[in-house]
Amino acid sequence: MKQAIAEFPSEIGYIRKTSSEILNGLSRCKVTDDKLFEIKLCVEEAVRNAIVHGNKLDGKKLVKVSYWVDGDRFIIEIEDAGEGFDPRKVPDPTVNSNMLKESGRGMFIIRKLMDKVDFNSKGNKIRMEKKLWP
Amino acid sequence: MAVKTESRDGLTVCRVEGDIDISSSPDIKKAFDKLIAQKTQRMIIDLSKVSYVDSSGLATLVGILKNMRSYGGKMAIAGMSPKVKSLFEITKLDKLFVIAASEEEAAARL
Repeated sequence: MKQAIAEFPSEIGYIRKTSSEILNGLSRCKVTDDKLFEIKLCVEEAVRNAIVHGNKLDGKKLVKVSYWVDGDRFIIEIEDAGEGFDPRKVPDPTVNSNMLKESGRGMFIIRKLMDKVDFNSKGNKIRMEKKLWP
Repeated sequence: MAVKTESRDGLTVCRVEGDIDISSSPDIKKAFDKLIAQKTQRMIIDLSKVSYVDSSGLATLVGILKNMRSYGGKMAIAGMSPKVKSLFEITKLDKLFVIAASEEEAAARL
């Protein structure tokens, strides 16, 4: 898969549109259904975070997405136009006191399912990597 | 997305069809709010026709559980696909919910 770049306004409809385009591109890469499910979920969680938490659903603010396959790895970068956040301060949703909280699981899921997750220093750009083949 | 509800012998079964994600969660919440307003005591949510749940969907299901617990109601989730179940395991929500392979098993555990 060659590098693809997309830029779109902060509207919920772009979450599924983005993951669909990526899965369509990966469909030629002989990736297992389980890995595709995990990539779809993490892409949607990260794009949702950018739209909802980063850009606060402001339709004038854009989300930039760039993705490609490098060797055996799928790599994606998602950047919002928000103020950024400190990913180290995201509470663990699996501790007892947080289990009944309704929000706060998206980033945890991303960290569990992707092989590598990094942020820029501002905290408004996430980079995720996933090994495509065993 | 659709939620089909059936009540018999003091047990309410809600069969959800389609994805439970950020787009469908508000409608799903609305459908369950009615059942919670009626203080439904025993409820099974059948997810056998749900192939995808995201963190918004998990939030919606946790919200339903919390609301039911507030008046002493009980709920179980039945029929999850392996992929959806793995999400409950990763987030440890499998410890919070009663999770059953079938509606029959769920009914026996409520």
